[in-house]
Amino acid sequence: MTAPRSHSPLPRRRLLRGLIAGMLALPLALGGCGGDDAGDDGKVELSFFWWGGEARAQLTEQALALYTQKHPEVTFKKTWQANQGYFDKLATLTAGDDAPDIFQIDDNFLAEYATRNVTLDLTPYQSSGKLDTSKFPEGLLKYGVVDGKLAGLASGENTQGLVFNKTKLETAKQELPKTGMSWEDFIAWAKTAGAATGVPGTMDPSADYKAFWVWLRQQGKEMYNGNQLGFTVQDVQAWFELWKGARDAKATPTADVIHEGNATDVTKQLVVTNKALTSWVWANQMPELQKNTKDELGVVAYPGDASKQWPRASMYYSVFRGAKDKDVAVDVINFLSNDPEAGKILGTDRGLPPNTDIRTSVSAETDNASMKQTIDVIAELSKNYGPAPSVPPKGHSTIREELKKAAEETQYDRATPAQAAQQFFAASQAAISR
Amino acid sequence: MSPVAVTTARSSPPRPPAGPAAHRRRARPARRGTDGTAGYVFLSPWLLGLAAITAIPMLMSLYLSFTNYDVLSDWESTRWVGLDNYRQMFTADPAFWHAVRVTVVFALIATPLKLAAALGVALLLNRGFRGAGLFRGLFYLPSLLGGSVALAIVWVNMFNRDGAFNSFLSWFGITGKAWVNDPDWALGTLILLAVWQFGAPMVIFLAGLKQVPVELYEAASVDGAGPVRQFFAVTLPILSPVIFFNLVLETINGFQGFTSAFVLSGGTGGPVDSTLMYTLHLYIKGFTEYQMGYASAMAWVFLLSIGLVTAVIFRTGRFWVHYSDGDD
Repeated sequence: MTAPRSHSPLPRRRLLRGLIAGMLALPLALGGCGGDDAGDDGKVELSFFWWGGEARAQLTEQALALYTQKHPEVTFKKTWQANQGYFDKLATLTAGDDAPDIFQIDDNFLAEYATRNVTLDLTPYQSSGKLDTSKFPEGLLKYGVVDGKLAGLASGENTQGLVFNKTKLETAKQELPKTGMSWEDFIAWAKTAGAATGVPGTMDPSADYKAFWVWLRQQGKEMYNGNQLGFTVQDVQAWFELWKGARDAKATPTADVIHEGNATDVTKQLVVTNKALTSWVWANQMPELQKNTKDELGVVAYPGDASKQWPRASMYYSVFRGAKDKDVAVDVINFLSNDPEAGKILGTDRGLPPNTDIRTSVSAETDNASMKQTIDVIAELSKNYGPAPSVPPKGHSTIREELKKAAEETQYDRATPAQAAQQFFAASQAAISR
Repeated sequence: MSPVAVTTARSSPPRPPAGPAAHRRRARPARRGTDGTAGYVFLSPWLLGLAAITAIPMLMSLYLSFTNYDVLSDWESTRWVGLDNYRQMFTADPAFWHAVRVTVVFALIATPLKLAAALGVALLLNRGFRGAGLFRGLFYLPSLLGGSVALAIVWVNMFNRDGAFNSFLSWFGITGKAWVNDPDWALGTLILLAVWQFGAPMVIFLAGLKQVPVELYEAASVDGAGPVRQFFAVTLPILSPVIFFNLVLETINGFQGFTSAFVLSGGTGGPVDSTLMYTLHLYIKGFTEYQMGYASAMAWVFLLSIGLVTAVIFRTGRFWVHYSDGDD
């Protein structure tokens, strides 16, 4: 759909839509209203919406200011907020046909938006050269493709990372975890290290879809095959049993502490709050974790065959299908991804720079030790990556929550792994076939 | 709501505060026409607000409840699905029934406890000692903070593993658990939070207690009734319209609990769905799973259910609410 939004066929429907928009938008006291199109004087104001903290806000504003400096006719209406509530607001704005021209999105929601035609297909811009993706790793670029359309341009790359408390382990003269350990070896290690340090060896990641997904790929399965589930109920049960074993062996903390770790907030991960020696995160979160603890942290790949991990887009920039000036909006995300100066400003805040040239120069210039370690670890892993999976389909965000629910049932001993696996599998099938 | 009830109660001492059932019909004004128009003109700001903020959105949501509206899609691809949403709710969504159960448990426990606490404290404050006004203010304070997010956050931290509550328990050698992270206890902490906010019904009770004619107590004590007997034979019957009023309001409030559950669980209803209140389930369906049509249907079922519960309370009210009108 490329028709401008002012030419909706049925006025009555437009009225209804407007009413819904009003109803949904009213209590949110939004910024970004005012759907005025670009004036004739050539001036363009684009709205830009992202989630993140203070640091990201500063970097993003600097990078956008640089764009305005080079293109004085283009200015930005910037809105940002914390991750919690971001997608509620984005959905509300979209419902009111007033989505931001450019917005940040992640793989939990990309398919939800792309399949409903909210995002602009970037493929034509890519083929016409207006959007330069020549320096993007192929797997990373493809991770933004939904139903054959480039729905989001990766704004950073990451992959699964197991972050451990180096200081505590070294003090207790324990081995450090290594990339390539088997899952069984890792759990045995966690048990020993936990006993030696007095801190449980590992967070229980059975509620964590990204750990489950890597494990599945190592079993020759997938989380998703297109719009189907790529695993069976037996796989889920085996996964839950693996971690029930770890809990019974006291390699993990107790259920209520695990529940804290299941919260998505990076700063509350158990490796930071000293309630476990390892946490299961995205590798690019390592510098953020390091900021929140005095102990020195290290990062390796998840257990098992690390080549089954993949270059995941930590987040994307998407352009709204109804954006005011689509060409300019695409040019802006092209600038943020490929301009060396912009790349230098943005650093690894959204993940490793997607443009590999910029990635190399950022890595060479940084003086942040944990950022350097992260880049090195991801660079090392990326040499061996096999084929990347495609971006999760519609329903993924529900499935993620269902996994958490079912896994917590086993963690609190309210259900056996078999019962919880049944429950999760049924709920996932319902969610994906909706 | 409460200030109105309080002032009407004050104006005519022997009459209880105007409960919802205490309406009296008035004779129609003789002249019509111009007066009516002027009335509507004066009412128009409120009427417009009612239409724009309440009535139209409600009708829209009624319409949406028969569609598959998903927030993000084009309006053009929204289809009429008849009763599918309602059918799915009652037959194919186990979480729906779970949410109903959680909500009923919450309302059934929190409401009576809150009313009992409110009445108990009101009775104490009514004894008229120095500084009663100060205490009244202090007890009312939590209600002012109402459904505030900050309060819920404080609550979560108080009842966490390293929270104030466990420090308190440790004085007695008890090692507490992380109450808010335990599926068996999380809802309990929410109930406690609701009960703690008993200030609003307390103020109304207090106003009601001040209406009880002193002569009745005098007569009762002449007849040899002790304080307990006086409470059951005099105070409770005279207070019954106020109890009724508070019961209706607090029951509705109880069913609508949302903020504290949302904050405690980070919007998920966890741990393990133990705090999945009806309104929270509705919110998740609408705003994180984008099934706004289904969420609208849930909202209408909710409205009708609360209406039904309220109607039942009104019916039973006949048997236990006593209105001692001025002419008695």
